[in-house]
Amino acid sequence: MKLLTHNMLTSHVQGVTKGYPLIIKATEVKVNELEFNAQFVSRMIPKLEWKALIQAAEWLGQSQDLPSTPKPNYESVEDFLRKVHRILLEVEVVEGCLQCPESGREFPISNGVPNLLLIEDE
Amino acid sequence: MDEAASQLERDHVHSVYERIAPYFNDSRYKAWPKVKQFLLEQEPGSIVADVGCGNGKYLHINDDIFKLGCDVCRPLVDSAWGRGHEVQLCDGLRLPYRDGCFDAVLSIAVIHHMSTKERRVRAIKEMARTLRVGGRIMIYVWAMEQKRRKFEKQDIFIPWNPNPPLSPALRQRGNGTQSVSDDSASSDKHRKVRSISSMVDEGDLISPGQQKQQRLWFFSRSLDSVLDFTSLTVSRSSSSSLQTPVDEASESRSRRTSSRGLIRQMSSLFSSSSRTSLEEDVFISDPNEQVHKNDNRSSGNGNETVPVELVHDCSAVPLPDLVSYQRDQSTCEGNVEVDGTLSQQEPLQRQESTASLLESDGMSGQSSEQLKDSCLRYYHVFREGELTQLIQNHVDELHVLHTYLDHANWCVVAEKVQVWKV
Repeated sequence: MKLLTHNMLTSHVQGVTKGYPLIIKATEVKVNELEFNAQFVSRMIPKLEWKALIQAAEWLGQSQDLPSTPKPNYESVEDFLRKVHRILLEVEVVEGCLQCPESGREFPISNGVPNLLLIEDE
Repeated sequence: MDEAASQLERDHVHSVYERIAPYFNDSRYKAWPKVKQFLLEQEPGSIVADVGCGNGKYLHINDDIFKLGCDVCRPLVDSAWGRGHEVQLCDGLRLPYRDGCFDAVLSIAVIHHMSTKERRVRAIKEMARTLRVGGRIMIYVWAMEQKRRKFEKQDIFIPWNPNPPLSPALRQRGNGTQSVSDDSASSDKHRKVRSISSMVDEGDLISPGQQKQQRLWFFSRSLDSVLDFTSLTVSRSSSSSLQTPVDEASESRSRRTSSRGLIRQMSSLFSSSSRTSLEEDVFISDPNEQVHKNDNRSSGNGNETVPVELVHDCSAVPLPDLVSYQRDQSTCEGNVEVDGTLSQQEPLQRQESTASLLESDGMSGQSSEQLKDSCLRYYHVFREGELTQLIQNHVDELHVLHTYLDHANWCVVAEKVQVWKV
């Protein structure tokens, strides 16, 4: 699970209103190399919940001095974009779980795939 | 009813895909051109979700956008991940994504597996929720109106066929011509069958003359006309007793028996070695005849050893557990009301009998032949305009842009609009 994906995920447990972002508890993380595409990354940034991304990076110990808000004119700051590229797309949680911050319900991540299936009554 | 619906989907969608996941062969199927086009048209930097992605057939298209896929089927999802795609396991009725986070959503050959109208609407609403305003969704579902076969009813079971014959039509579409059944366990071979068979439809591939193809035709015809929900057949010998009106409780009881018997009957039909000698015309169903039979709602059948030739000639009995599903979309004849408890029990009993059949057929992993016999997938096929109407009447937040027929599928492209609530 990449952190770009994690940024979209939320707890959908019945009745939960503050289920975002899901807390990441990782037991295995890997970092892949992926071709850097500046335009791609800079277009992603406005779609992100930035604070959730920073938080996720912290949970994985990958903060890399990312600012608490995106830099102004970030489109042209390559160094910044590369950092974002890395944290969004290159860092992957392979094993672990995602925890709903409100209900505590844990969703396992195994083999890179988060299992967000709910049982009937949830 | 929702429990029963979900049980039905577990038995005849989810568990079937799980079982057949290892048997798919990639080379048969490619991405559908219009879906591919939809993806290629997305602006660079878009985030797109494929809800019901199977083994990730569409997730490789367009490197300038971020795609993620989700599905309920673990083996298919694992296979997609093995190919480098971002995928999650989740249910289309409860998507784990925040509101308005996607620029586009795909739903290719997915919601026709949902067994009630309410669930289909819910699935569409969930996807709409995750779309940003201005974002677009593309939905593909099987069409009831097909060129080479006629679905008698909208709610049907279709068997999965591991080895459809290749036809010129297939080649024209640019699909691979290699023959199938490479049993390699590599994840590359895994394939999402629902998008496969909805588009490269078994019925479409039939050309008479080859025995194998004849068998396929037999399968699809027989299932269309025989095993669909509201035109189940029972033995001819008991048809005379079917005219007698009976009270609801005993009717339901005997329906329970009849549906168990029917399933055994169907199963022995498919697994019998005499299958290859059956003439296609044994199962010719005169559509008019079939319709009349649907009107006959009586119960029946303790007879479980019906000769195959008689099957097509028999009267129709609606499955009690599906009467309630049919309530919503049934165009025909009011189905008999079944009380809540009975319709809850029914699916379980049917499941038991199906399960015991599977075991007796030696299901534990073996020949695709046996798998084929017992892998019946549930479909609700859509009439012209049905999908559009569903969205227009029930999903305010989507505005339908295009509707078209793509081979054997109805397709809708819709845009998320802002709905102002007063």
